[in-house]
Amino acid sequence: ADDQVRWKVQAVFNTNWPGLGNPIRLVEESLKEASGGEAQIKVYEPGKIVPSFQITEAVKNKQIPAGFAWLAYDQGKMPAAALFAAVPFGMDPMGYSAWWYEGGGHQLAEKLYAPHNIHPILCSITGAETAGWFRKEINTPEDLQGLKIRFAGIGGKVLQKLGASVTVIPGGEIFPALEKGAIDATEFATPAIDEMLGFDKVAKHNYFPGWHQPFTASHLVVNTDVWNGLSKQNQTLIETACTAATFRGLAYSESLQGEKLAGFGAKGVTPHRLSPALMEALENATNEVMQETSSTDPMFKEVYTSIQDFRQGYDQWKELGSL
Amino acid sequence: MNQLTTPAPVYADEAPSPDNFDMEQLIHHTELPHTRLSRSFDAVIGTISAIAHWSWPLLMLVIMINVVLRYAFGEGHIELEELQWHLYSIGWLVGLSFCYVLDDHVRVDLLHERLGLKTQAVIELLGILFLLLPFALVVLWYAIPFVQYSFEMSEISMAPGGLPYRWAIKAVLVLGFALLLLAMLSRLSRVCALLFGFPRTIRISEEKARGN
Amino acid sequence: MEINEILAITMFASFIVLLFTGFPVAWVLGGVALIFAIISMMADQMWDAWIGIDWEYVSITVPRIWNVMTNWVLVALPMFVFMGLMLDRSGIAEDLMTNLVRLFGRVRGGLAITVTFVGLLLAASTGIIGASVVLLALLGIPMMMRQGYSHELACGTVCSTGTLGILIPPSIMLVMMGDRLGVPVGDLFLGALFPGLLLAALYIGYIFAVGLLRPQAAPAPDDAEPVTPLLVAKVFVTVLPAAGLILAVLGSIFAGIATPTEASGVGAAGATLLAVIKKRVNLQVLYEVCRETTKTTAFIFALLLGATAFSLVLRGLGGDELIESALTGLPFSPTGIVICILLVTFVLGFFLDWIELTLIILPLVAPVVSGLGFDLVWFTILFAVCLQTSFLTPPVGFALFYMKGVAPEGITVGTIYRGVLPFIALQLVGLSIVFYWQQIVTWLPSMAYSN
Ligand code: NA
Ligand code: NA
Repeated sequence: ADDQVRWKVQAVFNTNWPGLGNPIRLVEESLKEASGGEAQIKVYEPGKIVPSFQITEAVKNKQIPAGFAWLAYDQGKMPAAALFAAVPFGMDPMGYSAWWYEGGGHQLAEKLYAPHNIHPILCSITGAETAGWFRKEINTPEDLQGLKIRFAGIGGKVLQKLGASVTVIPGGEIFPALEKGAIDATEFATPAIDEMLGFDKVAKHNYFPGWHQPFTASHLVVNTDVWNGLSKQNQTLIETACTAATFRGLAYSESLQGEKLAGFGAKGVTPHRLSPALMEALENATNEVMQETSSTDPMFKEVYTSIQDFRQGYDQWKELGSL
Repeated sequence: MNQLTTPAPVYADEAPSPDNFDMEQLIHHTELPHTRLSRSFDAVIGTISAIAHWSWPLLMLVIMINVVLRYAFGEGHIELEELQWHLYSIGWLVGLSFCYVLDDHVRVDLLHERLGLKTQAVIELLGILFLLLPFALVVLWYAIPFVQYSFEMSEISMAPGGLPYRWAIKAVLVLGFALLLLAMLSRLSRVCALLFGFPRTIRISEEKARGN
Repeated sequence: MEINEILAITMFASFIVLLFTGFPVAWVLGGVALIFAIISMMADQMWDAWIGIDWEYVSITVPRIWNVMTNWVLVALPMFVFMGLMLDRSGIAEDLMTNLVRLFGRVRGGLAITVTFVGLLLAASTGIIGASVVLLALLGIPMMMRQGYSHELACGTVCSTGTLGILIPPSIMLVMMGDRLGVPVGDLFLGALFPGLLLAALYIGYIFAVGLLRPQAAPAPDDAEPVTPLLVAKVFVTVLPAAGLILAVLGSIFAGIATPTEASGVGAAGATLLAVIKKRVNLQVLYEVCRETTKTTAFIFALLLGATAFSLVLRGLGGDELIESALTGLPFSPTGIVICILLVTFVLGFFLDWIELTLIILPLVAPVVSGLGFDLVWFTILFAVCLQTSFLTPPVGFALFYMKGVAPEGITVGTIYRGVLPFIALQLVGLSIVFYWQQIVTWLPSMAYSN
C-alpha cells in the first residue's frame, strides 16, 4: 500500500544508552506493533549510514527520510538550535517539556527548521548530566585556569571564558586521553552512560550539579515533504510513539542513576558539589555567552527570550509548589 | 604502490646502496603515450600539488605549536586542533589527482602486469568510463550543493572558538574531485591516443623542440 | 533468499572479480557501489524489492567523505608516514646495520639476528614497509651471501623482519583500524607491542636453531673483531637517536603526555630534527619527503573514500546483517567462529593487502566478534598479525615483491618463496600463541589503566 512507512532512521547516540539513545528503539518497536506492521522504521547505530554531525542536513536533503538527532550539532549553522538540545543553567526535564509542548517551544523549533525542510518531534529527554569527571579536585574559579577539559557546545564556550583549555577530541579517544592525563577532565552524559564509557575507572572526582545540561533533549527529525505525505493516522502514530518513548526513556534513565552513584563509592569515586564560588562564576559566564550570542543572532535571541519568559512563571511555581 | 611485477634488474652498473637506490624502479606503470591535453592537465595538477605538498610540514608545525601551548602554557586552542584536519584534508584531497597522474593508486597487478599494453589500455578505458567517471561525477554533483548550503548558512565550527568559513574547507572536497576528474580526462586522452590514435600523441622530439 | 541479499553477495563478488582487472582498487570500490545502487533502484521499481536505495541515499557518500576530512584521529596517519620517510632519509638504518653487525658478528647466525634487530628498530621508528625491506635487502643480503648464508634464510629473514613495521607501533595500519572500529589507537599500540616482539623473538629463535642444526646455513665469520667496551659504546651511540625518537613517540603516548595524533606530529618533527642534525636534509629533500607523503596518504585515502561508498551501499542492501547471520549461523562455538574469520583473513591475505582488508572486511566482522563477547583490542591485534603475514604470502605479497626487485643475482623467485615459508609458519605459531594467551595483548593496556 502507498501508505506504508519504511524508513531508514539514523541515530545520533548508541541506542543502548538509557534515556539518550534507547527511546528511538522504543519508537521502532511500538510503531511496528501499534501499526500492525504498516509503519516500520529501521534504526541504525551512530555513524552507520550518516555521520552523527550530519543527520539533520541529510534529512533536509532527503538522503534519509528521518533521523534521530541532537540539534545542538547544528549550532555551527544555526546557533539557536542548541537551545532546543541543552541549555546551561536551563530548566529541568519537566520544565523543558512544559515549554516544548505548551510554552511555544515546538512552534519555535518548527519555525527554525521549516526553511530547511525539516519537521522536528521531541523524542528523548534525560535529566541532569554530571558536571564532569576530573582527575584533580577543583574548588575555585582559579582552578579552571589552564585545565585541559573535553567539553562540547555552549558549556564549552562558558568554560573557555573562565580560562579553561577546552578541547573537543572525539568520543572514542576521550577515555584514553583522560586515563593517560592528556586531558584533566571531561563531561559526557548521565552517570549510567558515563559508567558504560568507563570514566569512573580513570577520573576519581565526579562533579555535580550538571549546570551545563540540566536537561538533554533529542528529536526525531523528519523531512517535511515526507512528513506531509503521511496519512493523519501515521503522523499521529509517530508523534504518539515519540511522546511515549520520551517519557519512558526519561523514567528508565532516572531509575538507574541512584544505583550507579551508589556503586561509584566502591570504585573510589568521590562525588562533589561544585563550590558556590564556582557556580557563581559559571552562571555569570553563561549569562555573558547567552547575551553575546543573542546580540549576534536574532533567532537565538527569540528562542532564548521565549525560554526566559516562560521561566518567570515556571520557576516561581517550582519554588512555591515543590518541596 | 603496486605490488607485484617483474622489475627491471637494478644491478646493471654499480651495486645499489640505499643512497642511490630509486624505489620508483620497483613500481609497475602502464607506459601510455602523452597528448597535448594530458601534458597541460598534468601540469595544472602538478602545480597545485606542489603547493599542497607543503601542508605536511605545516601540519607538523601546527601540531607542535598546539602541543607546546597546551603542555607548557596550559592553553588550549581549538582553532589549532581544527587547523590540523583542515591541512591534512587539503593534502590528501589534492593528492588524489596527483597520485593518479603518477599512476600510483593501489592496483592488484597480479594479472595486469602480464597483459599487453593495448589490453591494459582497454581496461583503463572501461574502468574510467564505468567505474571512476560515474563515481567522481556523483561525488562532485552532490558536493556542490553541500558547499553551497554551508556558504548560505555562513556555517562556522560548532566547537567553542573553532574556525569560521566552513564552506571554504568543504570546497576543497570539490577542488579535490574536480582535479581528479581532470587527471582522469588526461589519462583518458592518453588511453585513446594509444587505442584510437586520437588525440594525437606528442612525440619526445616535439617536446624537446619546445624545450621540455 | 531475498533480492537484496542476492544483490549484496553479487556486489561483493563483482568487487573481487573486478579487482583482478588491475584497475585502481579505490575506483573499483566506488564504481561497484554506484553500479549496484542503480541495480537496486531498478529492483525496487520492477519487483517492489523495498530496498530503498535511491540517488539521495547514494549521495550520503558526500557527508561521509566530509566525515573523513574532519577526522582528527586519522591526522596521525600522514604524520607517521612523514616521520618514516624522513628517518629513511636520515640514514639511521645504515648506521644501525654497520654497527650492530660488529656486535653480533661472532654468533652463529649473527648476521641474520642483526638484520632482525635492525628490522625491529626500523619497525618501531620508520614503519615504512617498502623502505624497510629494500634497506634490509640492500644492506643485509650481500653481507649474508658473502659470509655463505643459505640464500633462503637470508631472504626469509629480510622479508619477515622488514614487515614488522606494520604491526609494531607506531603503525599506520593500527591508526586506521582504531579509527574504523572506534577503539582507542593508544590501546592498539600498547596491545600490538608484545605480539610484535614475540614474532621477532620467534624469528631469532628460528635463526639460532638453524645455526645450531645446520651450521653451514648460517655460519659464523672467521674474521669477526672482538666485542670491546669501545665497540659497545659505539653501537650504543648509533642506536641512540632512533631509540630516542621511539621513546619520544611511543613513550609520550604510553605515558599519557600526548594523544597519538599529537605524538605523530612530534615524531615527524623529531625525525626532521634528526635529519637536520645529521645534515641529511635540505629544501629539496624536504620537498621530496612531502611529495612521497602526499602520494602514500592519497592512495590510502582514495581507498578509504571508495570503501565508504562501497560500505554505504552494501549496508543499504543489508550486507551487514547478512554477514552477521552467516557468521553466527556457523556450526561452531564462538571461538570457532573467530578462528574461522582469521583463517579466511589469512587466505584473503594471499591476494589482498592490508588496506582493503582493514577497510572492507574488518568493519564487517569486528562487530560480530565483539557481539560474541570477545575483547575487541585482542581480536584487532590478531587480525593485524594476519595482515602482516599477508605481506609474505604469494602471489600478492608486498615484501616478496620488493625483495625480488632488489635481489642480487643468484636469488630467484623460488629462493624467496622457499625462504619465507618457514617464516609464514612462524607467523602462524605467533598467531596461535597470541590466540591462546590473550594477556600478551591485553596485559600492557590493562597495566596502563591501573595506575
Ligand atoms: Na611501526
Ligand atoms: Na599476500
